[in-house]
Amino acid sequence: MTAQHPREAAVADAGLVPLAPGLLLFTPAILLGNYLGAVLRYPEIGAAVLFPPYAILTAALIATARRDWIWYILVGSIAHFIAHWPQWSVSWVLLADVANISRALTAAVLLQWAFGGPPRLDSVRALALFVLSAVLVAPAVGASLGAADVVLHGGATTYWDPWRGWFMSNALTGLTLLPALVLTVAGMPSLWYQRIERRRILEGILLTVGLALTCAIALLWRGRHPWHIALPLYSPLPVLIWAALRFGPAGASLALTFVAFGAIGAADRGTGPFVATATDANVILLQVFLLLTTLPVLCIAAVNSGRHKVVQLYHALLASLQDHVAILDARGIVLEANDSWRRFAETAEVELFHRVGVGDDYLEACRAAADQGDETAARALAGVQRVLRRESRRFEMEYDQGQDGKRERYALSLETLARPDGGAVVTRANVTARRQALMQIEEQRRELSHLARVAVLGQLSGALAHELNQPLTAISSNAEAARRLLRREPANLQELDEILGDIASEDQRAAQVIRRLRALLKRGDTHLQPMDIRELVSEVFELAHAELITRRVTATALVSPDLPSVLGDRVQLQQVLLNLIINACEAMTSTAAADRRLTLIANVDARNNVHVSVRDSGTGIPAALLERLFEPFVTTKSEGLGLGLSISRTIVAAHGGRLWAENNADRGATVHCLLVSSPEVALEPPGPGSTHLPSFQH
Amino acid sequence: MSRQAHPISVAIVEDEASVRVGLRRLCEALGLRPSVYASGPEFIESLALGGGLPDCLLLDAHMPQMTGLELHLHLVGRGVRLPTLIYTADDGPEAEARYRACGVCEYLHKPICGDRLLEAITRAVPSATAGVPAEGL
Repeated sequence: MTAQHPREAAVADAGLVPLAPGLLLFTPAILLGNYLGAVLRYPEIGAAVLFPPYAILTAALIATARRDWIWYILVGSIAHFIAHWPQWSVSWVLLADVANISRALTAAVLLQWAFGGPPRLDSVRALALFVLSAVLVAPAVGASLGAADVVLHGGATTYWDPWRGWFMSNALTGLTLLPALVLTVAGMPSLWYQRIERRRILEGILLTVGLALTCAIALLWRGRHPWHIALPLYSPLPVLIWAALRFGPAGASLALTFVAFGAIGAADRGTGPFVATATDANVILLQVFLLLTTLPVLCIAAVNSGRHKVVQLYHALLASLQDHVAILDARGIVLEANDSWRRFAETAEVELFHRVGVGDDYLEACRAAADQGDETAARALAGVQRVLRRESRRFEMEYDQGQDGKRERYALSLETLARPDGGAVVTRANVTARRQALMQIEEQRRELSHLARVAVLGQLSGALAHELNQPLTAISSNAEAARRLLRREPANLQELDEILGDIASEDQRAAQVIRRLRALLKRGDTHLQPMDIRELVSEVFELAHAELITRRVTATALVSPDLPSVLGDRVQLQQVLLNLIINACEAMTSTAAADRRLTLIANVDARNNVHVSVRDSGTGIPAALLERLFEPFVTTKSEGLGLGLSISRTIVAAHGGRLWAENNADRGATVHCLLVSSPEVALEPPGPGSTHLPSFQH
Repeated sequence: MSRQAHPISVAIVEDEASVRVGLRRLCEALGLRPSVYASGPEFIESLALGGGLPDCLLLDAHMPQMTGLELHLHLVGRGVRLPTLIYTADDGPEAEARYRACGVCEYLHKPICGDRLLEAITRAVPSATAGVPAEGL
């Protein structure tokens, strides 16, 4: 049984129908129901063939809030009294009323509990739950009380006879009238916005006429003919199945109610098949016939309604997809295509092998186009074949399509259909906009990364000036010394030679600094190459050398001698390490000069990856920021945009690595950087082999 | 010239070897008597070991262990008052004011021009024999 879903429980709590309009509908209905119940009542069995008040009260309870139930029960009781009193004694009417109320309450509570709200008859399981609650248990409860009432008032000699009478009439009501009422009431909220097509109305009228005709043949035919038994019993069946298939459980239930009333009317007139010698035998025969007809018809209605909903959902889903979708069977024949696919297949710009519709052979279309030299079709053909043969679950490719002026980018994907018969779903999507957006993002990321690099160098500008001034100072001192030496007689040629040698090497050094700066300042594309981390660290330390001195930071680099090479972009990794070093320095601004220690450790971890950590003895990172530190615009510094670490993480992630921070146990923080070692290519010169490096864009 | 007979002795403290060598050569060519030290502590140690006081000091502003200004203040703190010249690449005018407030005679920009250096030293050291004897070092 279904446990009550919170939302549905809320619906049960609030009710589908408010009290005032509910009572307005309910009062005439229950009065009419009680009148009908009295008319259909057979004195011999103390019960009606069909008892409409059961269905009306139960439907009302299901559709309304529990706090309102008391009003419906009250009105129901009054209607019951009006119909039966004073012909019957007050105690009889009272006890019968109690039986009626108990039955309706049992049915309503059980149905709400089983369905978590208004019942839906869209599967055999749902139907079984409905039958169990409203056709077996609730009528049995009512019958137990009702039969006692009959026996107590001397209406019957045995308990069993009235029990059977009460039970059968209400079970029959539960199968015919109740589903129609309950489903109508449950569907009421959606009736307001549902547009009913004229064709449906026409079909409904036709169905009613058919039902009336077949019922007339079955029940009113007085003549005797060879098919006397079969014809009347089965003639309404095709129309009932029609109702079940086209109008669902509610329609079937209405039609069944129609047949039930017809059969009762016929039995009353003494026509039709249900004319036995004794009235109660007549009634039982009638009831058994109706019960046996009702169940399979409702079953058909339930199964078909469930199937119909699924198919409707499937079509709605397909139609709602913007992408072009086609479903292939295992041979590659198009079984189904959505509107987008169909519309696109008819346009001129579609590639040849996509001009296929339902019933066409997609595989053959691909093959034909491939034979004509269409490379896209050849690629698609290979993929489609693999997926259809179930050699792979999924195939994806992108291609450009269209005339020179307007080239569009499409993504084609195939996914196997998870069903025994096999097949695949083909999806084609226009990804031009997505690709452009991606390229734009990529461009902006590169721009940002470059700006960040320039910003890092800006932070270093003082130190870098110093770095350049050192060789320049050495050169100028040497040159001036040489000029003055030259004026002396005799010139010390050996010393002059030494001086000129020093000038040349200092010039080289200056050029080297400029080269490095230029590499960092340039907007360059990514160049992946196997890199020696030891070299990288020493370069970065040279760049940061003057900054470390100015900031009075004692820096140590501990680089393990057996580091594997890392596949990466030199400039970008320099940027990351430089950023980490400057951050560490800035974190130590308020640390006493003697305690400003920066340690860079590079070693290999268990998975042969290179682990570089930069440890400082600064203020540490506030716990709240530790996780968010790598988000853009998050910074611990009073100045700065907070982009450095975010960009560094992006760079490291693009290298397949990881960047994270933690506070040290004693003081300061450590930022860790894990870089994936380059497999096999370790420090070989990059040649043609470097073309199959993992794709990496930054 | 008297300077020829008594060349001015200059103690150069510079952490970078190439600059140190260049400045030593320049001072020699200018007719000065340079002695070179790689750091402040090295110079202080040389004094402690009984090395004579130079006529003036030529200090690099930025050095790892002890900056030029720190060395100067250290010596002043010990009563050693030597004419001091500090050179730097990148410090602004407010740095110059600070240096002068601390008793630094001359503030030079790198790269150092020979004539300017000679002029500054002769201004800082009025006579070849100028200098204050060490007290309590």
